[in-house]
Amino acid sequence: MMPMALAISVWGVVTGVAMVNQGMSVALGLLMTFTVFAGSAQLAVLPLLAVGAPLPVVWATALVVNLRFVIFAASSRRSFVDLSFRQRVLAGYLNGDLGFALFSQRFADDPDRGSPVQWGYFYGGALVNWVVWQAASVTGIVLGGLAPSAWGLELAAYLALTAVLVPMCTRLPAIAGVLVAVAVSVVMVDLPMRLGLLVAVAAGVTVAMLGERLGGTRRPAAAQTGVDAVS
Amino acid sequence: MRLDDWGYMLAAIAGLMIVTVLTRASFFMLPSHVQLPTRVERALRYAPACALAAIVAPGVLTREQEIAIGWGNHQMWALLTAAAVFAKTRNMAAMMAIGMGVFTVLRLAA
Repeated sequence: MMPMALAISVWGVVTGVAMVNQGMSVALGLLMTFTVFAGSAQLAVLPLLAVGAPLPVVWATALVVNLRFVIFAASSRRSFVDLSFRQRVLAGYLNGDLGFALFSQRFADDPDRGSPVQWGYFYGGALVNWVVWQAASVTGIVLGGLAPSAWGLELAAYLALTAVLVPMCTRLPAIAGVLVAVAVSVVMVDLPMRLGLLVAVAAGVTVAMLGERLGGTRRPAAAQTGVDAVS
Repeated sequence: MRLDDWGYMLAAIAGLMIVTVLTRASFFMLPSHVQLPTRVERALRYAPACALAAIVAPGVLTREQEIAIGWGNHQMWALLTAAAVFAKTRNMAAMMAIGMGVFTVLRLAA
């Protein structure tokens, strides 16, 4: 848990600093961190918000970055089906990268379909995650305004996103898709409304799927998660 | 500059929260007989990686909407070094320290 807590803290501070550094007020930064509670989505949409991209593009970007959670939810739902609807929505909201990684490691071979032990473990981990993350974020928001822009702290935000990206690049189709997305997004950087981003995602996913078919890769590896926090 | 436009930002934040709940709790909310088709699952697996790449790449490889790949791009070298470190160690704190360290050294040396 300790190395995880350290990773969450680093990630939280970086996200907090990035929001304020880009020009968001402390009040809005706090509101965002306490409601959205999704580090990589928050960091991902910051450059879009800064240039006033249309809201549908902002939301679509967060949606795509968050799609990995759909897979997490699909693969851990078995442990939560017996909870009430409200409880399930709450559990889902708290089910970030870290909680999922720990929980699925611990109970991968457990034949039980949702026991009090599993729920206790889940909520315990989620609570620690939430508290550490929010404390780190608030620290970052408060300190963010103090750092000179020459320090290049916006790079820290890109480094944090790279930490989520790298563990996803374990197979050739994924690497090919990512390289295509890099090329397309850079070439199309001056497309209006930041639409180049969505074009790049479409191109990257298409290439990865084609690559998978050509390469005969049958099963993608089990859900990959980084050591990043809630993101 | 829209980050201080409260109407725009409040709408953005509300939508981001909804998107987060919908994705995280997606299959917790659906009835248990609804399954994810394999093809869709594969596409979902690749999309987040591509999106992250498409956010990071223009941020680090372009300046003022122009491609800026070269020796003078300190952010690019810092990020490549940090990514290599992270791929080897999976240590987030170390990769942040090394990435920012490389950037700072290059910036001060230039």
